[in-house]
Amino acid sequence: MNRRTHAALAAAIAATLTLGLGACNTKATDTKDGAAGSTKAPGAASGTIVGGTPVRGGTLTVLSNQDFAHLDPARNWTMPNMDFGIRLLYRTLVTFKAEPGAAGSELVPDLATDLGRPSDGGRTWTFTLKEGVKYEDGSPVKAADVKYNVERSFAPDLTGGPDYAAQYLDGTEGYKGPLTGQHLASVETPDERTIVFRLKRPVAEFSYTATLPTFSPVPQAQEKGAQYDLRPFSSGPYKIETYDRGKQLTLVRNTNWDQATDSVRKAYPDRIVFVQGLKGGQVDDRLIASEGADASAVEWPMMRPESAAKVLPKADVKSRLVAEMTGCTEMLYLNNAKAPFDDPKVREAMMYAVDKDAQVTSFGGPALTDIATSFLPPALTNGVRADPLRIAPVGDPAKAKELLAAAGKSDLKVSLTVSTGDKTRGEALQQSLAKAGIQVTINTADPSVYYDTIGDTKNAPDLSVTGWCPDYPSGATFLPFVFDGRTIKEKGNQGNYSQFRDQATMDRMDEIARMPDVKEANAAWLQLDQDLMKKSPAVPMLWQRRPLLVGTNVAGAFGHPVWTGMFDFATIGLKDPAKGQG
Amino acid sequence: MTRYLLRRLLGVAGILLAVCAITFSIFYLLPNDPAAAACGKTCSAERLAEVRTAMGLDRSVPSQFAAYLTGIFAGRDYGSGAGTLHCAFPCLGYSYEYSMPVWSLLADRLPVSFSLAVGAALLWLVLGLGAGVTSALRKGSLTDRSLMVASVATASLPVYFTSVMLIWGVVRGAGLLPYPAYTAFTDDPLSWASNLLLPWLALALLYAAMYARQSRNSMIETMAEPYIRTARAKGLPARTVTVKHGMRAGMTPILTIFGMDLGGLLAGAVITESIFGLPGVGRLFYDALVRSDQPVILGVTLLAAFFIVAANLLVDVLYAYVDPRVRY
Repeated sequence: MNRRTHAALAAAIAATLTLGLGACNTKATDTKDGAAGSTKAPGAASGTIVGGTPVRGGTLTVLSNQDFAHLDPARNWTMPNMDFGIRLLYRTLVTFKAEPGAAGSELVPDLATDLGRPSDGGRTWTFTLKEGVKYEDGSPVKAADVKYNVERSFAPDLTGGPDYAAQYLDGTEGYKGPLTGQHLASVETPDERTIVFRLKRPVAEFSYTATLPTFSPVPQAQEKGAQYDLRPFSSGPYKIETYDRGKQLTLVRNTNWDQATDSVRKAYPDRIVFVQGLKGGQVDDRLIASEGADASAVEWPMMRPESAAKVLPKADVKSRLVAEMTGCTEMLYLNNAKAPFDDPKVREAMMYAVDKDAQVTSFGGPALTDIATSFLPPALTNGVRADPLRIAPVGDPAKAKELLAAAGKSDLKVSLTVSTGDKTRGEALQQSLAKAGIQVTINTADPSVYYDTIGDTKNAPDLSVTGWCPDYPSGATFLPFVFDGRTIKEKGNQGNYSQFRDQATMDRMDEIARMPDVKEANAAWLQLDQDLMKKSPAVPMLWQRRPLLVGTNVAGAFGHPVWTGMFDFATIGLKDPAKGQG
Repeated sequence: MTRYLLRRLLGVAGILLAVCAITFSIFYLLPNDPAAAACGKTCSAERLAEVRTAMGLDRSVPSQFAAYLTGIFAGRDYGSGAGTLHCAFPCLGYSYEYSMPVWSLLADRLPVSFSLAVGAALLWLVLGLGAGVTSALRKGSLTDRSLMVASVATASLPVYFTSVMLIWGVVRGAGLLPYPAYTAFTDDPLSWASNLLLPWLALALLYAAMYARQSRNSMIETMAEPYIRTARAKGLPARTVTVKHGMRAGMTPILTIFGMDLGGLLAGAVITESIFGLPGVGRLFYDALVRSDQPVILGVTLLAAFFIVAANLLVDVLYAYVDPRVRY
């Protein structure tokens, strides 16, 4: 998932698995000088709940500067929209606990009775649906409805959604979805409550895959094609009352949702009003003031760095700031397809040349972001900050010069393309690279064409800046998307902006994908991450937080580690529902 | 008059067709690919081809343009099988970003832009013409100089600056008004007006300043005309000379500019709507630009062109009534 999914903002996601740890790793809680990551205390709530336990009732308002990309569960693949859809409108076979910190990354059954039962060496996965789960009209949720939505993810009319079904399911070649009456043989529903997935290869982490909205139910009778985006049929605790795109979405209780079948969602507010089209700065200001109805509001866009000065010095306002790690890694991509970055020595020099502390400063300071010391974010490594190269946060220009001299490239002139909003960061990079004798020319591209510009492989710049966020807590949703050379496309290239094509890396990725044991696979991803750091296809720069303000009447607010640090809408609510009526 | 109108209407159709063709062509020169954007991050070549076909982008550009034009008058279908959607007249395309016909989006946003434009226009006409005519009638006086200095100062302030200052002063500072949030006139007229007051002011201050200067110059020229001297000489009251003879002729050029300005604003005030968070056509256009939503960009462009040429036509027709010297 790249930064496009965040409407030109920053990034997101995270979670935790128990992994074997390498020798050079440091724990997230460690604070070290020099070589290891200079882990500074977050400036706001991280891993804690703001506002205490909510009281049932009232109206929670979400103030936003944007509309959802998609709410159709077959198409919802952007963070944090997945959080909003999954926690409020539709349930998935499996989901994540509604808890802050590492516990939030633990799986729990949702529609299903368990996390799925593998057989045939992990090639077949069987789920049994709970009894008594209903849609908003009171009709029962059936296994065939989950199969139908999985099939919908193949329809060319229903674009943008997760493609894991296409990656994993057997016999999907040429399949174009159910809208024209075709169905998949590799998904079976022997009875109304059983669904069986037959996969191309063993997938040890299929329970995680089943947390994606692709694995939520859509009854065929409710099919409206692309229009389903406007009014998904609810199996969650809320249903859509009105949705004026770009203006406002109003959710009311789904009276047929049964708390007894749902161990995750608490559904505290009676109504949730999602106000769209506001200006980001105004959203911050309104929540800082927290007056009137805004006391019962939360913000959707990240708090802007310039608002930090109005928040962090004031204890009462700062106490209403949630700043969970997004789980994304912001990187400086080096164009491996051409000189000078086709030379590994030059790429290694870049690792030493970048001043990551300057990047932190240009991104709002240590309260809002941390320096990244490897590609995989701590969310995927049980909080471990792998740091195989152990370079000081301010970089080491002398070492970079030395490496460049050894490579015979002492007088480098390279181009850097950044989005217009990232110009300050580009200039910080320009200054830090200059210290290593690398002359950078900055080109700025409008956010609307930025990804097309850096994704045009023939004309791609030498350097570009963007990030990647995993879909769920697994290295499988990170490294293959960013460094698998087989994913490179001539136009519209996404993820592997470095155009890194290394046979050994690709072979290892295939080996890890075939591993039947999740724990073993994750340890292998972590090791591959460290190997990749030595090959230096890109420079990991930042692990961002998602700073979000809440009003004074909001309770149960915490950033969920899996959904890029966005509030967990399963448990958020109000302290005093009477103050949040309307 | 009828022949004149028919000729002008044909011209309007021609202009709209040209705007449509040019805008449509520009999209094919841009680096972004709507199919790739819709297809998502891990889109294979096969999947991309399927999406391109589903979006109708595999056809030649002239064929797509012909289908677009036909759709405007006869409607057209989008999607396939159980997911087919009929986009009825006037089908200005289909937004894959919003999963909605463009016309539905525009129709939904037009009341906001219309409320903003008409309210602001009334305000700037009153302020601008009032100041301009007063200055003209007291040419060289302290009032004239003060008003013109004020108008230069106000016209120099960009609308984004005025808007932000109004929010800071009136909303955040004094707390006199809440942050603007559009309420439909039919739901609550008072809330409608109070929410739009600041955006009206922001726009009106800019335009009023320009109208004050224009109307002053126009009135000074008109009041120096021989027929005004004749009117005075034959003993007509000063009020009749000023209003009936002076303003009627002096306002003709203002009417031309007003038609263009109002026409342009009806299709959305991009900056004002974005700053005040008003969900109008201008904000829709801004969002469409950010999201590369080409059908919406094309739809708004066509709508803007329509309003401008229609307002122009209306003004030309009104000339005949305002200025007795004009006859078609």
